[in-house]
Amino acid sequence: MSTTAKPMMGTLLEFGARSDVGRMRENNEDSFRAAPELGLFVLSDGMGGLEAGEVASKLTVETVLAHCRDAEADPDLPYRGEQLAGASDASNRLASAIQAANKVVRAAAGFDDADGPAAGRDADSAGTATSAPKGMGATVVALQFLGERVSVAHVGDSRAYRLRAGEFLQLTEDHSLVAQQVREGRMTTSEAEASPLKNVLMRALGVDTAVEVDVDEEIVIEGDTYVLCSDGLTRELTDGQIAAVLTETANPQNAADRLIELANQAGGGDNITAIVVRVGAKSGGRLGKIGRWITGNGN
Amino acid sequence: MPKLTLKFENAILGEVPVGAKEVSIGRSPDNAMVIDNPAVSHYHARVFNEEGRMMLEDFGSMNGTFVNGQRVKMVMLKAGDCVTVGKHTIVVSDSRELDGFAAASGNGGAMKPAAPKINETVMLDTKERREFLQKVAAVGESVQVAPARVKVATLVVRNGKTDRKEYTLTDKLTVVGKSALATVKLKGWFAPKAAAQINRREDNSYYIGAADKMPSVNGKAIAHPTKLSSGDVIAVAGIEMEFVLRD
Repeated sequence: MSTTAKPMMGTLLEFGARSDVGRMRENNEDSFRAAPELGLFVLSDGMGGLEAGEVASKLTVETVLAHCRDAEADPDLPYRGEQLAGASDASNRLASAIQAANKVVRAAAGFDDADGPAAGRDADSAGTATSAPKGMGATVVALQFLGERVSVAHVGDSRAYRLRAGEFLQLTEDHSLVAQQVREGRMTTSEAEASPLKNVLMRALGVDTAVEVDVDEEIVIEGDTYVLCSDGLTRELTDGQIAAVLTETANPQNAADRLIELANQAGGGDNITAIVVRVGAKSGGRLGKIGRWITGNGN
Repeated sequence: MPKLTLKFENAILGEVPVGAKEVSIGRSPDNAMVIDNPAVSHYHARVFNEEGRMMLEDFGSMNGTFVNGQRVKMVMLKAGDCVTVGKHTIVVSDSRELDGFAAASGNGGAMKPAAPKINETVMLDTKERREFLQKVAAVGESVQVAPARVKVATLVVRNGKTDRKEYTLTDKLTVVGKSALATVKLKGWFAPKAAAQINRREDNSYYIGAADKMPSVNGKAIAHPTKLSSGDVIAVAGIEMEFVLRD
């Protein structure tokens, strides 16, 4: 099975990441994890009152990471949810990890799904003893590099981008009401940005017993730069501004720092998180240089 | 609005949205969802909207209708349910499609349940979706779409050195190049590892994009991933291929 292959054989990955509360919020409800040894990068933007959003995003990234790690140790680990037609094992595994995270978020939100983990697991940290957090949910966007392929999975409006040979491309389509209306030609992009409904998500983790996960696969080319980010970045900066930072800043950590800085300068209306992954030249070995790992959430 | 996705094993055969009009399921070609299989009755079952609830009714079919493994006569459906008819599976989901929503919400903007506070992201929970559904049903529904016939996407090599003359595209990612994961294998010393990539998207459309090389479609270099139509001619790394959708 290809899941047993070494994740990043021969490919050099450098990454940098940062998460920031922004200038308007009191809490940072974004979370991220990077596990370069698995070729895995995951980011989540939590939603919900009190500290529910923080709990949801943290549970999401941790569950995705744990599921992928378990699968690395045991390739026969059962898949959650449906298998995707024509998708690689790695893509199916990533989708499975997100289904697992959905279950965990639901359990933490107090839903009693038959096959979910025990309910109320993080009720303490949600800050209220009286009831489970309501409306707890999270977005997720994740990259898993395996050999020459990268799987891109997401739910919600956190995004993945790729800069390749000067072309800056959004790899994910937001699962938001306005993005959908733009796709259907009912709304222009600028109308969408001005819409009071731009915060309405059509899909998120924690809502239903199962979640529809979008998964795409891309070939990895030397020189590619990938970005995962929460909407706190894309609300403040245009694609052009983000692309310019990635082009001008060689070091991925510096690029992530600079993106956060610019988003804060532009208003910092929401929590801001960015993971920048750069695909370098062949290392000849299993793993090349690993970027610095900065914990953005005090985790 | 919710949708029904007809599947046979792993293949998606078609999708039908569930709106105000009922979705009839059966072997006869006049059904909204046609399942061409002897195990399926001519008029087997229907899915319809009753006060915002999605209901499934079996028409006393010979081989029965099953929801999550349980034989049913009449039952309420929810996202995630699996309906089995013969050897086919119909998956119930809440699709991204919310046709008619713009009209519904534009009408006085009565979207109380989901009206967010400034800058607060909200999710549409199941109850809210149901209310949307009612609203959508009230506004009037789009035309029923018969399930699209599954077309087979094929690359036919017209020119250049490849390991085969024809490739059927079944994977999410198809790579043209010398790479180990390439489907369309290029030969020759100077062939690029990955000249181009073709992505199959959720709606079964195919997009071609650049990798190490910039492909052209019908003689024009593509600046961005470009949707392929049947008959398009792709040229990259000295190879010329026609993209063909076959019934």
